[in-house]
Amino acid sequence: MILADIYQLWSSIWPAGVTMLALGSGFAIILLIASEKLKVEIDPKIEQIQEALPSLDCGGCGFAGCGQYAKAVLANPDLLGKCAPGGQKSTEAIAKILNLQVSDSAAPKRPIVHCKGHTKDKTFNAIYQGIQSCIAANALSPAQACKFGCLGLGDCVSVCKFDAISIIDGLATIDYEKCTGCGACAKHCPRGLIEMVPFSQEKMMTVACSSKESGKVTRTMCKVGCIGCGICVKMGEHFTIENNLARVDYENYQPSEKNQTALNKCPKKVIIETGKKCKA
Amino acid sequence: MNYELKNKQTFAGGIHPKSAEKLAKDCKIEPFPVPKQVAVMLSQHIGAICKPLVKKGDDVKIGQKIGETDAFVSAAVHSPVNGKVKDIALQSHVVAGRSKAIIIETDLENNPQKQLCKDKFNENFSAEKYSAEEICNAVNEAGIVGLGGAGFPTRVKLEPNPRLPKKTLIINGCECEPCITGDYRIMLEWTNQMIAGVKLAKKASGCSDVFIGIEDNKPKAIKTIIETLEKSSNNEKIKVVPLETKYPQGGERQLIKAVLGINVPTGGIPPMLGVVVLNVATAAAIAEAVVEKAPLTHRVVTITGKTIAKPANYYVPIGTAVNELLEFAGGVTEKSAKVVLGGPMMGIAIADLTTPVTKTTGAVTVLTKQEIGKAKFACQQTACIRCGRCLEVCPEHLNPTKIAHAVKNDMLDVAEDYYIKACIECGCCSYICPANIEVAGYIKTGKIFLARQK
Repeated sequence: MILADIYQLWSSIWPAGVTMLALGSGFAIILLIASEKLKVEIDPKIEQIQEALPSLDCGGCGFAGCGQYAKAVLANPDLLGKCAPGGQKSTEAIAKILNLQVSDSAAPKRPIVHCKGHTKDKTFNAIYQGIQSCIAANALSPAQACKFGCLGLGDCVSVCKFDAISIIDGLATIDYEKCTGCGACAKHCPRGLIEMVPFSQEKMMTVACSSKESGKVTRTMCKVGCIGCGICVKMGEHFTIENNLARVDYENYQPSEKNQTALNKCPKKVIIETGKKCKA
Repeated sequence: MNYELKNKQTFAGGIHPKSAEKLAKDCKIEPFPVPKQVAVMLSQHIGAICKPLVKKGDDVKIGQKIGETDAFVSAAVHSPVNGKVKDIALQSHVVAGRSKAIIIETDLENNPQKQLCKDKFNENFSAEKYSAEEICNAVNEAGIVGLGGAGFPTRVKLEPNPRLPKKTLIINGCECEPCITGDYRIMLEWTNQMIAGVKLAKKASGCSDVFIGIEDNKPKAIKTIIETLEKSSNNEKIKVVPLETKYPQGGERQLIKAVLGINVPTGGIPPMLGVVVLNVATAAAIAEAVVEKAPLTHRVVTITGKTIAKPANYYVPIGTAVNELLEFAGGVTEKSAKVVLGGPMMGIAIADLTTPVTKTTGAVTVLTKQEIGKAKFACQQTACIRCGRCLEVCPEHLNPTKIAHAVKNDMLDVAEDYYIKACIECGCCSYICPANIEVAGYIKTGKIFLARQK
């Protein structure tokens, strides 16, 4: 009896099974042919380059993501070395794939915030109650007396993909441990406070102020503003003054005793050391 | 009287700000005393920034040209006082944040107060004896810009352009911003001077039709102008059009829609339709510039606000600091929360009270916390509930909430798709929003973002 049942079941199932099998193998053959005929040639190098890149899609190179950059660098080898997060390692790996020579490794670029004014140091004319974005606050008549200093509303924080920048007491502060140097913050600061600087040393010395006003005006606006007194130029080695504002010559900067004296002698304490392992 | 208030014309959208009181409505235009120091901005208009013609230490006379450029879209600036150039330095500027200004220390002993010249005109003024070119040159020399607020150089508007012939001249007497009364007083007190200016503008631009659009909450002004026109022969066939009281009736595009019933295309400008729009204050300035050869050194500024002791309309030297104005009007009290240059709807809050008055400053409004609204004052926004009120009131028929949220979330391409650039920044959406979202503020921010991208 059981055997008869199984036979009956089988006789009703097999046509369906065979049809499915036939359909399946038919489509498989079509797909197989299509995959051969309509094959898109991808340069294997693109994949290799992409592997060499950090796959962060930060956009610091100027392209939409790592994939786009990989394609671009293959087409135009001049673009080599644009990947800041990957750094020298990525550049060398890509150069190897493309059989290129890498020129001497340039120092990696990192952002420096040229302002030291925390909320307690700054003078305010009025309370800003508009849209909480630097670009909107900067467009209005200045509620914050200093029109050069950090607004502390965090346009740079919102564009950082690595969580490496934060607003501490009304001042953008960079965490150099997390920073990859993509440059997004420097592009978005409406006041141009953040500058990408070649970090030839672990710690860079910087004048953390951007005020081009005369010393007299700067004093009224901020307790920690550069007044352009010129002591650092006299004492240190790599300082210049332009438009009432001292600047470090980042290209040639070397840590030295003289520079350290300049840092200590600055009457406004606006020269600071910045970089990894530096207190914010 | 041959006007009918029932058939008042208007546009779709807009709002009726209820709480606004015209405090300075019955205050006559008074000359403002000569200030100790003026700061004449080199950029008071749309277009190229002027180059200073004087140096530090130079003596300047009333009406002397102190800044000029060769650029086509620009206007010269003149000294409103006799005095000495103290410095050429940066000053707080309403729109640009900070901009260069010529700071003049007044010679207080030798400084006659500028007299109003309204009495020098009568009903029978005729523009016939002036040629179009003469008028345009006089307007250019006087550095006249649109005094309504945008500050577009008037000479560019009036000059004949063979590609875009002008047909219609509309005089903007709406003054739709709540609280401001300067234009209203000009229409009432300087009627003859203003109409003389209209006639001159008509002659210069070669327009065939002239309309004066006035909101119907100013029946006195409508009556005065119609009576004055009736007294004169009215050869120019100037028509007075009463319009519905609504904000932003005085917006250029809204005014054209209300008066002529035609839409200015998105991204287009009124000259494409052969329309020229001038403010009543601009018309009065044209008359003065052409007949008296006097440059634009003074303008009518309304000082208003509940905390101001004497709200008033003053004929102020351009370059006077706002705090001097406020002090003269009785000073601000502790209740004042915000000082706004312009009206409460479109004016820009200033942080620095030494900001000088420019050619485009029509009013100084001092607002209290109550007027701003406590929640709005503290920026207490809640989520958008998609009620669609901002869509209803938008006079440009945009989708403000969509644009604002696109900007907020950094999706500028979406904002552009929804025509962010067509926004006239009237602020109706922010006013009506029950969630206190600063819709217009976000849109303005988005425009700055877009400008920076390029």
